[in-house]
Amino acid sequence: MNRGWNRIVPYLMILPNYLIFAVFVLAPVLWIVYLGFTDYTILQPSEWIGGRNYERLFKDTLFHKAIINTIWYWIGTIVPAILLGLVLAALLTMKIRLLAAFRAFIYLPGVLSSVAVAMTWLWLLDPLRGPINGALEAVGIEGRNWLQNPDTSLPSVIVIGIWTGLGYAMIVLLAGIQGISESLYEAASLDGASGPQRFRYITVPLLKPILLFLFITATIRSFQVFDLVYILTGGGPANSSTTIVTQIVGASFQEYRMGYASSMAVFLLGITLIVTMLQYWLGSRNTTTE
Amino acid sequence: MKHTRTERSLAYSFLTLTALVTIIPLLIALFTSFKGDEEFSLGGMTLLPSSWHPENYSRAWEMADWGLFLRNSAIVTAAAVGGSLVLNLLAGFTFARIRFPGRTPLFLLLLLGLMIPSQVTVIPQFIIMKSIPLFGGNDWLGQGGNGWLDSYWALIVPELAGAFGVFMARQFYLQFPKALDDASYIDGAGYLRLFFSVYLPLSGPLLATLGIFKFVSVWNDFFHPLIYTNSPGMRTVQLGLQVFRGEHQVQYNLLMAASLLVSIPILILFFIFQKQFIRSMVSTGVKG
Repeated sequence: MNRGWNRIVPYLMILPNYLIFAVFVLAPVLWIVYLGFTDYTILQPSEWIGGRNYERLFKDTLFHKAIINTIWYWIGTIVPAILLGLVLAALLTMKIRLLAAFRAFIYLPGVLSSVAVAMTWLWLLDPLRGPINGALEAVGIEGRNWLQNPDTSLPSVIVIGIWTGLGYAMIVLLAGIQGISESLYEAASLDGASGPQRFRYITVPLLKPILLFLFITATIRSFQVFDLVYILTGGGPANSSTTIVTQIVGASFQEYRMGYASSMAVFLLGITLIVTMLQYWLGSRNTTTE
Repeated sequence: MKHTRTERSLAYSFLTLTALVTIIPLLIALFTSFKGDEEFSLGGMTLLPSSWHPENYSRAWEMADWGLFLRNSAIVTAAAVGGSLVLNLLAGFTFARIRFPGRTPLFLLLLLGLMIPSQVTVIPQFIIMKSIPLFGGNDWLGQGGNGWLDSYWALIVPELAGAFGVFMARQFYLQFPKALDDASYIDGAGYLRLFFSVYLPLSGPLLATLGIFKFVSVWNDFFHPLIYTNSPGMRTVQLGLQVFRGEHQVQYNLLMAASLLVSIPILILFFIFQKQFIRSMVSTGVKG
């Protein structure tokens, strides 16, 4: 087969995909690293300023705030989503009737767009007439302006993040549990292990690779949180809910400080690469020791 | 596997409780979209509307150019899904079934793309879009105009080259026996005919998984339309919804109606193809 014309056909077959990949992913990655060392704005030509963007980044208290908020969002969403998702997945494998319905209902918020989700919660959390404040007042608790109060803006976004992410965690873990051999559970049952014991000593250990996968994908995703924050709070009030990507977008497309924003983007890229490396490292360690 | 009665009833109560907590916000949104303006201003706390107002949907429809936004979203989504399936499957097939010099390094380079968040590449992408020669008023050096910005190109083309789609396609095509290729080559078929007449007809599950993944991510995308477009005529439904809220913020019954309107295609897809949908989300590691 590998003669004449046929030698170049394989290259032609990957070319369209590769060309677009090179122009819109590879080139931008190299370019963003370069831009991070310049003072580029869209209005004037760029000049090389060495590490000055990064010096500023380390002193930028607003960006520190964004990192801390992003870390809170990360911990605040993935810990409850994974723990609760694990319990739900385990319960769903108990030969439950209506399994498909439970699964669909719990997963449903995850298929909606972040904009539609944000609109729903803007209404639920509306300070004047929203159902949540209404329900609280009905039991004698005073409602508040959840999204526009510095103490509750980020926690509110986190709760909404859990609401949309729970179904995904549950479904991934459910697929993992369904992959565990039934005979292990039967053997444990014969030895007198209770449901919670089987969960603790069979399900959790055998689910480690899936838990790692879920942890990594959810971590990477939570570090990219933007849509919900942008629509619900705009990062405010007083930057109480600003995140890394909110800062990148603000600096680049609202203030046109593209060079400075690029150094923030490189920071995000660095975190993502570290987390991905961690996955490979932990993943390969798991397979060699077990 | 046996469970005691207490275990089972505990399981049912916990599942029911969680399902209620996740579904109630959506039910509130749904019923709110049918509530009348006057019931609204009275601040009634009932879940169900005291009187039903389906005309909220036509009112919301008339308050913004939804026909245009839906058309934009449909064009962008259809082109992105169709185009990416063709390009990703073809490349994935080539990497899996054909030996050629440089195959491994080229594939590994593509895998790097899996690790790169789109929020990282958006600034250079924006500059590249702006500098596409001979588009949007640009000269042949890419100067003077807006290039692909504020056009369908900006929303479609970057979606076509998914490192992820190629990766999935390659994994899928690796599982077939070599004899399948040999039989076809003996019949005198070339690479392209092997792909189109033998492998493509076998690709149903792959098409479903990748197609759903792409449909959901492009239809629901807010980030890229927000950054790459600015004229009202180029708005997608997600961007349109955000603008609609800015203009009619207090009319929550209409806002909920509009939110449900733009979610209908996703909801239909979800309820019809639930199995494929879930398989797609599990294998992709990406939320819809």
